[in-house]
Amino acid sequence: MRTDDLIRALAADKVQPASVGSRLALLPLALLVAGGLLLGIIGIRPDLGAALMAPVTALKNLLPLALGLVALILAVRLARPGVSVPVAGLVVFPLVAAALFAYGLTQMQMADWGRGLMGRTAAFCVPAIVLTALLPLVAAMRAMRAGASTDPQRSGALTGLACGALATAIYALHCNEDNPLFFVTWYGLAILIVAGIGAILGRRLLRW
Amino acid sequence: MTGTQDDWSVLMRAANGGDARAYSRLLHLVTPVLRGIVRARGRAFSAEAQEDIVQDVLLAIHLKRHTWREDSPVKPWLYAIARYKVIDAFRARGQQVQVPIEDFADVLPAEPQADPTERSDALKILGQLDSRSAELLKAVGLDGADAGETGRRLGMSEGAVRVALHRALKRLAELRERQVS
Repeated sequence: MRTDDLIRALAADKVQPASVGSRLALLPLALLVAGGLLLGIIGIRPDLGAALMAPVTALKNLLPLALGLVALILAVRLARPGVSVPVAGLVVFPLVAAALFAYGLTQMQMADWGRGLMGRTAAFCVPAIVLTALLPLVAAMRAMRAGASTDPQRSGALTGLACGALATAIYALHCNEDNPLFFVTWYGLAILIVAGIGAILGRRLLRW
Repeated sequence: MTGTQDDWSVLMRAANGGDARAYSRLLHLVTPVLRGIVRARGRAFSAEAQEDIVQDVLLAIHLKRHTWREDSPVKPWLYAIARYKVIDAFRARGQQVQVPIEDFADVLPAEPQADPTERSDALKILGQLDSRSAELLKAVGLDGADAGETGRRLGMSEGAVRVALHRALKRLAELRERQVS
């Protein structure tokens, strides 16, 4: 096909492609379905209101929520070619998490650290969060495909990070393990697993 | 080169507002610059392969044009797309390249060489598309028919032609992507 002919065909095409933003409308729905299913099965902790009065427990809920929203905004921005995205700013979150973890250590005898870290529900918590994140991840990834990231792997990782963190924020409504040693470790692991899945998917799905 | 960026941004805004002539003008302005970049970076390639890469970039610009924000300058956006697609195309053809496309102005715009991709090649590529898409692209691209005319010829409504043309271009881009990667 000659280039002039291609240009003529391109100029004749008036269909505006769907934007990332408009396709992201499905993400809240996916979160609602997946989160509703999770909480419908395992329930919200009965003492949620009272528990959130404790700052550490409030952070357990708010930190993943904030991370999810920030990562999502960064992922959407990264879907535009030529826009610089301050991804390095995300380092705030592991720093706050590390501070929480350190605080948790000071609150326990050294002999109890291992018990605090393992908690009672680690083996359930991680797969529950990862599974909850999958449907939102599909919705978000589909939206990102409408974009044009010049770094598909990073975009996928950010999308996974967002979905993992948002799924964690939902799971935290159920979880009554308020020891930072526990939730920093296992929430962090679950979120990183979903981010990893997102990176792998992004490499394949977000090329254009 | 002062003023160029404004011109391109103005044209692109008009294009997104539905002005096909402004859009066509923009693509015609961008193409020699792209060609200059591809030719400068991709000397190892045949003229035909170089022109293929130019077309890959044009298709990408077209299919991703909604990712440009109208309140930002159009050039950094165009550079980023060109850089991504040129690197991608070179890598797919088995050549690692450094593509520091800081400024299109550094590269001399290039005119096409004596038509490296003649009609026969066009038909060859179109032959890999499904027949409806190929016929549409032939009518609109090669023959320059408009949507209404094409619709009458193919027995489709004008709206159906528009949607089908968009799909055909998307499929063309996917096909080329698969072919080179």
